[in-house]
Amino acid sequence: MFTEPLDVLLIFMITTPVVGWVAHKKAYRKVQGVYAALGLSITGYFLYELYKEVVKERIIVIGRLPFYPPLEAYLQIDMLSVFMAFIYTVIGLFVVVYSIKYMEHDTGLTGYYTLLLGIVAGMMGVAFAGDFFTLFVFWELMCLTSYALVAFRKQRWEPIEAGFKYIIMSAAGGATILLAMSFLYGMTGTLNFAHLATSLNNATANRWLYITLTLIIIGFGIKAGVVPFHTWLPDAHSAAPSPISALLSGVMVKTGIFGLIRVLILVFAPMQGTWQATLAIFAVLTMFTGNLMALLQDDVKRLLAFSTIANVGYIILGIAIGSLQALTGSLFHILNHAAVKALLFLCAGSFIHQTKTRSLKELAGIRHSMPVTSTIFVIGTLALAGIPPLNFFWSELTIVTAGVKAGMLLFSVLMIGNVAFSAAYCLRLIQIIILKPPTSTSKKAIEAPILMLITTAVLAILCIMIGLHPSPFLAIAEDAAQAALDIQGYINALILG
Amino acid sequence: MIPLIYYLAGAIALYIIGMYCLALKRNMIRLVIGIEILLNAVHLSFIAFSAYRNTGYIDPLAHAIVIMSIVLGGCVTAVALTIVTYAYRHYGTLDVRKLRRLKW
Repeated sequence: MFTEPLDVLLIFMITTPVVGWVAHKKAYRKVQGVYAALGLSITGYFLYELYKEVVKERIIVIGRLPFYPPLEAYLQIDMLSVFMAFIYTVIGLFVVVYSIKYMEHDTGLTGYYTLLLGIVAGMMGVAFAGDFFTLFVFWELMCLTSYALVAFRKQRWEPIEAGFKYIIMSAAGGATILLAMSFLYGMTGTLNFAHLATSLNNATANRWLYITLTLIIIGFGIKAGVVPFHTWLPDAHSAAPSPISALLSGVMVKTGIFGLIRVLILVFAPMQGTWQATLAIFAVLTMFTGNLMALLQDDVKRLLAFSTIANVGYIILGIAIGSLQALTGSLFHILNHAAVKALLFLCAGSFIHQTKTRSLKELAGIRHSMPVTSTIFVIGTLALAGIPPLNFFWSELTIVTAGVKAGMLLFSVLMIGNVAFSAAYCLRLIQIIILKPPTSTSKKAIEAPILMLITTAVLAILCIMIGLHPSPFLAIAEDAAQAALDIQGYINALILG
Repeated sequence: MIPLIYYLAGAIALYIIGMYCLALKRNMIRLVIGIEILLNAVHLSFIAFSAYRNTGYIDPLAHAIVIMSIVLGGCVTAVALTIVTYAYRHYGTLDVRKLRRLKW
């Protein structure tokens, strides 16, 4: 019906409750998790097949019905979509495998895995959408599942508060995107990206277009955690169960960025100067706020959430610069940040699982009792600080050099300053974990279970691998960036071809 | 026929009312109603545009979106009200000012 990867995800999502019911009758506790992991692995395989097809054909259109053309709603898959979908699936798989151990004492696991598959399906649908209607439906699927997942441990006060804050802000953001959609529809009579791009190609910037652009940036910006709209992010990320924090921070924030890339580049091409300047200012604000606030936190998950905000700033700066190299850097940074942040949140989850605390004061010196997890955590932290042989260095370098080449020297300098500044809280984290004397809480901890160790170790190896050998990953990111920037090719393939 | 701009003014006014409600109201149920007002502003705008788009027939795309959006808005309200219920059980009040244990 949709594409194979999305079909598989939706089928597994619908059948997980049945499997969970059978497992409940037989008193097996881990079946749902294994079933969800199986579903995501099959999705990954089909996605690889799809990737090979996309390499051959550039753009694939699925589910096109013989309607009056501007009313068409379909899925289109190009390199950018496949690139994003790969990140979603891989991180989703790691999160599911980790959850099998981490969540084993919770109740309502069937619902948990159903929602997890649902959020991955929603994100993938957003990446595959060829028009605003499809994008909106999958966007809401992603949002609804994430509301429920943030407030999953409903017995405590914190997830409830954070979940309520998140639901109000995110639903307002969704309504804002919808209002922008209605204005675009009123101006052009279509919601299809390709038709919108052709209709608005020669438009002069008028008042309504400016209003629409503002609404689009606010709507997607709320999801992406851009600074004036970021307040839900640290609360939701720290209140959710750790695997869900990894998913939210690693990939769900990126759907907002993906929406910005797709909509701004395709639809708002005539106003490129305006949105580039706006995004550049937002980017600087975002990275400064993220890094500053991260330095002040005591809660390890809150610290990581603020560092996510800072990294969103770097990615958005890449979009604002707008050249091919900058967008490549942004997409590469999306990949790197997904891997590193998933790794860090999962490691933090291991600490929390063993010590039942999130406070850095109490986690001090934990390397004595949890040496392997601490080593992996330190690898992730070093990557986050942008230390050369690890993966963040390459993507940050790409963005900065692209900024210098495009003549945005000031912004590049600000970004370098921020990267150096982010090293401060990374070193503070390392100092707390490694150098401080152990507290009574961290003395009592024991090493994390083997399944959790394996997941985090594989992610750490991935980070080191990307860092030592970045060229193949950079090439894929460049393909994706090329697909995103090739407006004429996109229109030709979808309307004329 | 009433000009389109009146409907648009109505939609934008509803949107502003919704945002005002989200920003200043303290009752959690009212915040959820604020979300509904925002969505209804968008629905009004879509329907107005679709009616004025073509003479003779009404564009079906906008109607499809509005029906979908009503359904999804219902889902969001359901989830939000569930969370409100749990919050009420924890705090014994619906005042959001009491939910200030989260820091900045």
